[in-house]
Amino acid sequence: MNLTRDEIIEAVNSALVKEMEIDPADLAPEKTFFDDLGLDSLDMVDLMIGLQRKFGISLRENEEIKQVRTLGDVYDFFEKNQAMLTAQAEAAKAAAKAAAEPENKQ
Amino acid sequence: MNGLKRVVITGSGIYSALGSTPGELFDSLAANKSAVVRGGRDENFLPTAPAPRDPERFRALPRTLRRAMAPSACFTAMAGLSAMQDCGLTQDELTALHAGCAVGSTMGSVSTLREGYALVLSGQSDRLSPMHFFKSASHTTAFNLARTLGLNGAIYSPCSACASGLQSMGLGAALISAGQETVIFCGGADETGSEVSGSFALMYAHAPAEGDPTESPRPFSANRKGLVCGEGAAVFCLEEYGHAVRRGAKIYGEIIGYSSNSGGNGLSQSDAPAIARCMADTCASAGIDPSDIDYISAHATSTLQGDAAEAAAIREIFGANIPVSSLKGHLGHTLGASGPLEMAAVFEMARHGVLIPTRNLAEIDPACSGIDHVTGLREKRLDIFFKNSFAFGGINASLICKLNV
Repeated sequence: MNLTRDEIIEAVNSALVKEMEIDPADLAPEKTFFDDLGLDSLDMVDLMIGLQRKFGISLRENEEIKQVRTLGDVYDFFEKNQAMLTAQAEAAKAAAKAAAEPENKQ
Repeated sequence: MNGLKRVVITGSGIYSALGSTPGELFDSLAANKSAVVRGGRDENFLPTAPAPRDPERFRALPRTLRRAMAPSACFTAMAGLSAMQDCGLTQDELTALHAGCAVGSTMGSVSTLREGYALVLSGQSDRLSPMHFFKSASHTTAFNLARTLGLNGAIYSPCSACASGLQSMGLGAALISAGQETVIFCGGADETGSEVSGSFALMYAHAPAEGDPTESPRPFSANRKGLVCGEGAAVFCLEEYGHAVRRGAKIYGEIIGYSSNSGGNGLSQSDAPAIARCMADTCASAGIDPSDIDYISAHATSTLQGDAAEAAAIREIFGANIPVSSLKGHLGHTLGASGPLEMAAVFEMARHGVLIPTRNLAEIDPACSGIDHVTGLREKRLDIFFKNSFAFGGINASLICKLNV
């Protein structure tokens, strides 16, 4: 994951338009997910799963993402953490690959 | 019925491969249309009878409802909305009545189960949506109907495969008859897929992949080779008679008899004596003689053993003078939806005074003979009709409806 802020905004917004059927005109950084955009906690989980897939990262163990309240919070989160999230994803991939390889028998 | 209250049907809604309203369905049936195509919902090119899974049509359901719905629940919700509109009760009135529902299906949603297992088995469990469970739960059709219609009463979901819909009707009728419900929406729904048709094929109970798909299935036919799986939904508004009359509701008919039993030891094969006992008990529950029946809407799916067993039971209980036909030659076997969906067609037959014949029945199997098969459109005034649904596990369900109430 190595995106500009604009690319992050585009990716997040397109997920909201496509998956949550939100009118693009209603999207602005200050909008809150629950009160302004009408999403609930189940929608937020679905949104995050979609963004995980889109960005090739995992958010499962991330506590900070659970604190987001506005669209701007999400943009900021991904912009600030993309290096860390990418590193985590690569480490997880390597660990999974190692676990899948048979032991070397002497 | 054996209870204190009378049970009538005051609303009807369907979602099917041959029409979105009972009228459209009847017109398709009368025109001898077949819903069967090669492949469709089966990846191995077995014939199936798919219902439209059109995302644009389903957008009539708000996203907040639709997000928890697989096709089976979408079918149910669309049928349920039609039934609610048809019965004339508003959501506020249904809320005040604490109206509930009883809707079943074979296994919730085969398509969603498959999507989920594909992710889990490929190590991508973290991509499962929280909606996965809601879409695939065995009672998804029932609670999604309740959410769609704003029902705040009891929710039941008899899941008994091909008898799900008729058992839901019977349950709803029993609850009203016993004074526990005033209004309850009842019906069945199902979607099909390769897992379903493939299972029947493994049992040598499925129509072949070769040849003209519309020549299958062939209920009661001498050269029948098995069933075709279909999909769809039907929902009825069942209502206590007095309540319906006081509010001036349109009444389709009265459920005067219902019974369900099993063979006691069966897995996949129909048990003729048990079917006969079920049909006799249903007549007894209605307080009528079998000769009072004007038409039998058979279950007959085009399996060798099942059709013969049902025909033998009909011969024994009803003899050769009651007209019988199966609609599965047109619609395929819509599984959990079949009982109510075919009932919706019978109400239209009554309205038009015309019986729909069994499609593809050119030569009657001698094992299915000795009953009055309807083989062409037949003018007939109906007052009392009989409906059968049978399911794996040896489950039998029968229902009697009187039209002139």
